[in-house]
Amino acid sequence: MSSKSRSKRKPDQFDFVDKGVNDSDSSESEESVYSGLEEEPDTSEEDQEQSSNQSDNDSSDNDDDEDITLDDKSGLELSTEQRKELSTASDDELNEINDQRYTGNVKSQNRKQQKQITVKTADRPDEYDYDSSDEEDIRNTVGNIPLEWYREYPHIGYDIEGNRLLKPEKGDQLDEFLNKMDNPNYWRTVTNKMTGQNVVLSKEDLGLIQNLQSSKHPDSMAENYQSSKHPDSMAENYQPWIDFFTHEKMIHPVTNHPQHKRSFIPSKWEKLKVGQMVHALKMGWMKPTKAKTEEEEEENFYMLWKEDEESEITRRYRAHLPAPKMPLPSHAESYNPPPEYLLTKEEEEKWQNMEPEERRMNFLPQKYPSLRLVPAYKRFINERFERCLDLYLCPRKPKIRMNINPEDLIPKLPKPRDLQPFPTAQAIVYRGHSDIVRTISVDPTGQWLVSGSDDGSVRFWEVSTGRCMKSITMETGSLGNMCIRSVAWNPHPDVSLVAIAMGQTVILVNPGLGDKMVTNNTDNVLHSFSPTEEESMGKKVYADWSSIDTSDKRFENGFRLLLQHPKEVSQVTWHGRGDYFASVMPKGDSMSVLIHQLSRRRSQNPFNKSKGMVQCVLFHPVRPFLFVATQRYVRVYNLLKQELSKKLMTNCKWVSSMAVHSGGDNIIIGSYDCRLSWFDLDVSTKPYQTLRHHKRAVRAVNYHRKYPLFASASDDGTVIVCHGMVYNDLLKNPLIVPVKILKGHAISHDLGVLDCVFHPSQPWVFSCGADTTIRLFT
Amino acid sequence: MMADENTPHVQAKFFTKQSQYSIPDTPYSVPAAVGTSELSSLINQILKGSDDSVDAGIEFDFLLDGEFLRVPLDKHLENRGVSSEDIVEIEFVERQPAPKPEDSLLHDDWVSCLQGCKECILSGSYDNTVRIWTTTGAPLLTIPGHSAPVKCVKWLSGDGGPTCRFISGSHDQTILIWEWHREENSVECVHACRGHAGSVDCIAINEERDKFVSGSWDKMLKLWSAAAVAEGDQEEQLEAPTKKQKISKKVQTRVPVLTLSGHTEGISAAEWLSRSEVCTASWDHTLRLWDMEKATQTSQMQGTKVFLDMSYSLLNRQIVTASADRHLRLWDPRTTDGAIVKCTYTSHNGWVSSVSWSPVNQYLFISGSYDTVMKLWDTRSPKAPLYNMSGHEEKILAVDWSIPSLLLSGAADNHLKVFQYNDEKHGT
Repeated sequence: MSSKSRSKRKPDQFDFVDKGVNDSDSSESEESVYSGLEEEPDTSEEDQEQSSNQSDNDSSDNDDDEDITLDDKSGLELSTEQRKELSTASDDELNEINDQRYTGNVKSQNRKQQKQITVKTADRPDEYDYDSSDEEDIRNTVGNIPLEWYREYPHIGYDIEGNRLLKPEKGDQLDEFLNKMDNPNYWRTVTNKMTGQNVVLSKEDLGLIQNLQSSKHPDSMAENYQSSKHPDSMAENYQPWIDFFTHEKMIHPVTNHPQHKRSFIPSKWEKLKVGQMVHALKMGWMKPTKAKTEEEEEENFYMLWKEDEESEITRRYRAHLPAPKMPLPSHAESYNPPPEYLLTKEEEEKWQNMEPEERRMNFLPQKYPSLRLVPAYKRFINERFERCLDLYLCPRKPKIRMNINPEDLIPKLPKPRDLQPFPTAQAIVYRGHSDIVRTISVDPTGQWLVSGSDDGSVRFWEVSTGRCMKSITMETGSLGNMCIRSVAWNPHPDVSLVAIAMGQTVILVNPGLGDKMVTNNTDNVLHSFSPTEEESMGKKVYADWSSIDTSDKRFENGFRLLLQHPKEVSQVTWHGRGDYFASVMPKGDSMSVLIHQLSRRRSQNPFNKSKGMVQCVLFHPVRPFLFVATQRYVRVYNLLKQELSKKLMTNCKWVSSMAVHSGGDNIIIGSYDCRLSWFDLDVSTKPYQTLRHHKRAVRAVNYHRKYPLFASASDDGTVIVCHGMVYNDLLKNPLIVPVKILKGHAISHDLGVLDCVFHPSQPWVFSCGADTTIRLFT
Repeated sequence: MMADENTPHVQAKFFTKQSQYSIPDTPYSVPAAVGTSELSSLINQILKGSDDSVDAGIEFDFLLDGEFLRVPLDKHLENRGVSSEDIVEIEFVERQPAPKPEDSLLHDDWVSCLQGCKECILSGSYDNTVRIWTTTGAPLLTIPGHSAPVKCVKWLSGDGGPTCRFISGSHDQTILIWEWHREENSVECVHACRGHAGSVDCIAINEERDKFVSGSWDKMLKLWSAAAVAEGDQEEQLEAPTKKQKISKKVQTRVPVLTLSGHTEGISAAEWLSRSEVCTASWDHTLRLWDMEKATQTSQMQGTKVFLDMSYSLLNRQIVTASADRHLRLWDPRTTDGAIVKCTYTSHNGWVSSVSWSPVNQYLFISGSYDTVMKLWDTRSPKAPLYNMSGHEEKILAVDWSIPSLLLSGAADNHLKVFQYNDEKHGT
């Protein structure tokens, strides 16, 4: 609370009331209070009392925890009494009354009131006569400390000179009691803790306390005046308001000075200045500032979050790039290097003759017996300079290192053992051939296996036991080439025929195995064929069909039909329905692919132009498409429309083999450059996935008809089985997981496994190789 | 008791079901790491102490909870999760004697199937012939008749009478029923059963010996009458080219009584379980049970591999199957839920081609494999077989244990091996 505000207000002292106030006592003792006060002014130690009172007031301002309890009823009575009194008295009278009434112990208040009154009269006493500030009046200088600390001592603190303030003598309980009984002011007597003095509260103090307690204006006078609508009441409590500078516009000036003369005369210097500027404008020295266009004004954006940005300097500190470190000195730079680091004479000469830039080391290693003998370093300045050059050219750019876990880059593939069944172990070895087994094929029921070998024999095997049931040795042809290049079992279950490509001929053999009915039917159908002359007349004959007579010795072996080709046949393949088959003559140029129809014994040449050396052909399993693999491309022809429908870019150097998925939308291609490429025909003409698991040329690839498996055979002697799941959902890519490497074939003449075929119904794979064996992996 | 005090010991109580070896029911403290041979000598000592008449040196085998002890005792207990603190009850049985190789019968070609019967052995071969041998190894007859390799042979009646009958099935899709006159040592084909459209791979004759079923590669199971005279028989000249023996008699063609389809691949084995129930094993990875009276399939057990053979034991009513992997599997056809494969026996290194139960001992069976070894198994010892019988140089195609004292195996090295097995002490 500032002294100024305090001076404006009525004194706001409120002092402690003894806790032991008695209700019944208070009402009775009202009259006696006044009489007692008037008649028996307590004059003892007036000054000290005053000061203590003052300090008491001050301390009470801060001291909120003092419990002030005053009975409501007594307080009310008191206030009404006051009102009565006050309503009758005028201001001055009241002051006088007050002066008279509060003689000793509340002298300070009187003074203040006097002060207030004197504001009006402008008869100011010396301001510094009485110091009203809070702190300076404290007699006890111990400060704001808990006074319990002085409980043990006879004094209660120190005055400003450092003398002890002795505690006033306190009587014992009996004195207390007597005091309580005798002293009519006992109930309004409190102890100032700072001084230990007893203070008798004035009536005004009591009223103040009561007003505070009943949430009224602390100054009971103000309230009373308000209630009585006394005209001068406000002047009593508040200073009158003088509105010097008002917001209202006044017509008269505040000051009364007359205007100066110069305010009526135009300025000479201004005129000069303007003249200069006009001249400058005329001369073109000065140009009028352009009026801002609207656009410019509109572009007055500002960065809303600019405060968030790091300032340039802090950013530079934070992203501090340390200069690259100097390499640590090596052994050769030691003053006493091991002898092997020292250069020999020749080396030293060579070093000397070299250009400084070419030298591996820019110093000569030198040996000193002790550190004392090491001379000053001659190259120090050079080195520092070079370092500076290095740093000058050093790119100060942070290296952003990508923290990528290598394992995250590997696609998540299921574990092979979750993808069973697939062939895992070799089960049966089919032995009997005496030379490279080039080609194998399984009959559609899965009971028989046919194999063609370089020894000129075709063997038929029982799959389950490995028994060779039949062996057909080809007679030496006109060319003397007995290699069986390709065998293919007719996929139709009601036809028992095997196509064998040997030299320039394709032989259709009825193996006579399996159901006898089927065998006989096949023979009967072949026998009952009668050629229709008209058709064969006009057209060019591409292949020469000839049937084997029943009397022929070869008929016994199962030979039924011979197709003589103009060039060597490398592959035969059946259409899924078993009526058509295609033969490949890689050197046949425009006739490299021939399609033969069994039922009409007719051959067609679907292509009249050679597109390259044909490696292999395949029929689409369901649609009339023909896949033709040349060295680098696979072309898909629509046989009905007779047009090229797709051309697959294999990205490999030399296609060796090809297989089509039973659904017909996916094909795999093996190549001599060790690759296996999976094509999704619906998606792209580029490989969907390329597997490079084989170490040497891939010789054959094959799909399983039922299980999601495909296999590739390679010259490295292994067959790799992969899980290749094709989903019906077109959006889902095929899942390709390599599951097993099947080893078993020995490599001979740099040839490993030459063909691999899946069992039609079981997850088994057959492979044949250059080691003359056929192996079954289950 | 034998080893020093520091080694851990196990309290063991021994008992046996063989009365001649019974010993007092007192627990013995044996070292925990004891093996079968030590335990065997211990039992021998006990037996010697109690009765002098018993000759020492008998080999015993020890069973804990129905499984043979094959590793040291503590490891066995550890594997089974049994506390070694408790008293372990160990059953001991006299060790199965080792089969002795007795004879090797040379054929002209691979031996694909065989069956023994009292004093005779019947074998079918890939040279299209069926042969009859005495159990001592003397060839009695070589019977040509089939035009393709013989895949299965079965005695229809071979019990000592003057005429014996047997059946053979072949790749030529026919089943021939033969009559063999023992005194004259002559054989004649009485019936040719035609109807299969694939090689006949298995034949099973019922207990009454009046019916048999055949399974074929054409996925069909056919029921035939095995009676001497049946309805629908037709006269037919057997067309087989014969060189050694002319069969000029008229042969009656028999047609199947019943044809059951259901398998999706060829049937590899069939067995009668009861009067009307037949179980078949197939390449389609299933075992199927058929009711022959109702002519329906009653249930199906799904396997994971191709079944190559199966055998059914009348003693324990269980099926053991041989698969196109290395394992033998024990099935109980009576269970309908849960794990129907009761046990897996793994020791072979190749396809197990054939399997056969012991006719007298409910625990024993033999298996032949493409790894050229025949193994004698005890169902209580799944980890290891009792004995390996090697001798063949090529894959074994058929094994048979129809004669209790003889283990027969036929293989692709043209040999039929006979092993003597003396199991009389055990009985059942």
